[in-house]
Amino acid sequence: MFKFIKQYTETIKDVDIYAYMSMFIFMVFFIVLLVLVKKMSKERVNTLSNLPFDKAEINNSSTN
Amino acid sequence: MQVEKFYYDNKIVRNFAYATVIWGCVGMLVGLWIALQLVFPDPFPHGLNLAPYFNFGRLRPLHTNAVIFAFVGNGIFTGVYYSLQRLCKARMFSDKLSYIHFWGWQLIIVAAAITLPLGLTQGAEYGELIWPIDVAITVIWVVFGWNMFGTIIKRRQKHLYVAIWFYIATFVTVAVLHIVRSGELPYTWLKSYSWYAGVQDALVQWWYGHNAVAFFLTTPYLGLMYYFVPKAANRPVYSYKLSIVHFWSLIFLYIWAGPHHLLYTALPNWAQSLGIVFSVMLIFPSWGGMINGLLTLRGAWDRVRDDVNLKFMVVAITAYGMATFEGPMLSLKSVSSISHYTDWIIAHVHVGALGWNGMLTFGMLYWLIPRMYKTNLYSKKLANNHFWLSTLGIIFYAIPMYWAGFTQSAMWKQFTEAGQLKYTFLETVTYMKPFYAMRSLGGTLYLVGVLFMVYNLYKTVRAGKLVANEEAEAAPLQKEYAVHKGEHWHRWIERKPVQFMVLSLVVILIGGIIELVPTFLIKSNVPTISSVTPYTPLELEGRDIYVREGCYTCHSQMIRPFRSETERYGEYSKAGEFVYDHPFQWGSKRTGPDLARAGTGNLKKNNGWHFRHFRDPSSMSEGSVMPSYSFLLEDNLDISDLPAKINAMKKLGVPYPKGYDKDAMADLEKQSLEISSSLLSDSIRISSKKEVIALIAYIQRLGTDITKNEKPTFNK
Repeated sequence: MFKFIKQYTETIKDVDIYAYMSMFIFMVFFIVLLVLVKKMSKERVNTLSNLPFDKAEINNSSTN
Repeated sequence: MQVEKFYYDNKIVRNFAYATVIWGCVGMLVGLWIALQLVFPDPFPHGLNLAPYFNFGRLRPLHTNAVIFAFVGNGIFTGVYYSLQRLCKARMFSDKLSYIHFWGWQLIIVAAAITLPLGLTQGAEYGELIWPIDVAITVIWVVFGWNMFGTIIKRRQKHLYVAIWFYIATFVTVAVLHIVRSGELPYTWLKSYSWYAGVQDALVQWWYGHNAVAFFLTTPYLGLMYYFVPKAANRPVYSYKLSIVHFWSLIFLYIWAGPHHLLYTALPNWAQSLGIVFSVMLIFPSWGGMINGLLTLRGAWDRVRDDVNLKFMVVAITAYGMATFEGPMLSLKSVSSISHYTDWIIAHVHVGALGWNGMLTFGMLYWLIPRMYKTNLYSKKLANNHFWLSTLGIIFYAIPMYWAGFTQSAMWKQFTEAGQLKYTFLETVTYMKPFYAMRSLGGTLYLVGVLFMVYNLYKTVRAGKLVANEEAEAAPLQKEYAVHKGEHWHRWIERKPVQFMVLSLVVILIGGIIELVPTFLIKSNVPTISSVTPYTPLELEGRDIYVREGCYTCHSQMIRPFRSETERYGEYSKAGEFVYDHPFQWGSKRTGPDLARAGTGNLKKNNGWHFRHFRDPSSMSEGSVMPSYSFLLEDNLDISDLPAKINAMKKLGVPYPKGYDKDAMADLEKQSLEISSSLLSDSIRISSKKEVIALIAYIQRLGTDITKNEKPTFNK
């Protein structure tokens, strides 16, 4: 799978680990991120997205 | 709970705002000047090159540094100091630190503006500033971080809004980038050599260079977008969830993308491939951010017609979208083979700088200044004129440069039916002149627009009065916070700025480490070539002149493995040829031809030709846009630092013999005399002590290593 990398670094022992590691970290990071973001409550998201505004300011509080 | 009364510091915001306006004008004016230098390259008063201090090669780094660190830098601090206080419901942590930060940063800019025209440079793009300034930048950056974290820690708002995450990531990553790029060994109190050589220096440079774009020109401005666009539109960001995904994925991916600046070069292919994959993936978070910015205006699009702040912001976000679509496309090898070294890249970066950074800064200033001065903008009409001048300026700048880039590339690669290159390099240069002239028109329009803004803001400021300390109220943050069972992870991280910083650091280090470490640790990444030897003392001095004059701003030293390049420039470049190059000088633009093999093959010229060419380039290459370097014929070579240079190089691993620092002078004089006597046979009488002799020695050395032996020895 990672021939294009291995070809140039074949003298490094087990060089595939760099490529596999980066792809693995990337996948885990994003899947966990997406799941956790999906689980956020709507009420909380509303509060957070209104942080730049003072209470007195009129704004449309609907998000998403 | 008892509400506390406190005051926002508007004075520091005002100071940074003034600085961004003033330095913006300076940076753009220098940009316009160097653009016109390519149209009128003769020495002043017949042209616009004022040797030695204001030649193109010394002014171009001044332009890039002024725009990036002075204009955008002060723009970042303006926005951060304004929004951070309000988002944290707290005054800045320390007025004294704010003051030190402001004046320290301006002093650094002044120091850059003095040293770069003096030729004091490290010869690394966007990392040109000399080591004492690098130290000062580190100190002032820490002051900024200290002040920012102090403010975050004493905040009255529990949660950290998404804009603050971008500010934290900017602080952390710029610190890491700056420290790694500033790896240098000083040999006098003003000068140093890069710790890294050749391929490794190139990889560090573009890891740094690309992430300077990412974490200085992009992430802080995304933070500003997430604050100022909702404020100007008076509605919350389109999707807060998207902003979380945008943030983490952007900082994760950006750090890997640097090697796309080095496709088809002597950089190991695995590093190039990693750069490409992550660059292509970058389009998703970038466009996620763009969509989030634009859709914040949902239901308020009618206001864009009348509200000048929103107009600027919409064009800024659109330019961001265009540049971040183009970036991944340019990272593809097939596209890079066409675009690299051409004016296409100049067009690309200006869509980002003029469109994204410029327009967002202007939108922010038009929104901020009237509010801080409790008055209305002096003239909406003038601001509208500014908007149209800027927009047209970008178009008039970008289109000629795209056109020039496509044409250049096509001309460089064109063969006749007989299989020979159709155009000489010089023909491609003279063909570009009308495009350079049109680009200057675009730049002029943009600058005139900025001057409209200066007048408009000046009149606004005169009509109002600065509310230096703006009163606000908020309840203090509860010290104790009970953690709820099953509490959301992001709630925890948003309350903990230090943990947030550490997590951002880990995320950006993953890419940095995986990318950089193998190239540094594993020798097999850079195949050595036995015939490659260190530079002679005279060549080393000549190389330092090459760096000093910024020759790398127009000449590459990296021949890619294409027939069109090997036919024109000779054998393609090998990683092992650069092992003694501190710093590397591969360059990124070919306004002039590649010089990697200027001392051999097709490109070899005799010493007399080089002498006459440096004195008056157009006398040897009619229509050349290169400035005259006649001062090199008059100035004596300063060899007082030679022993220190040799010793520094030895420390960096260049295998000069033991005690060579003492013998180097004799070798230098011997080689100088050989060159001056060879010039004599060409009817040129010149002292062997002049700078031009050293530069000729260096140019004649370029690329000759692999032809030294009849059979070059490669270990691969």
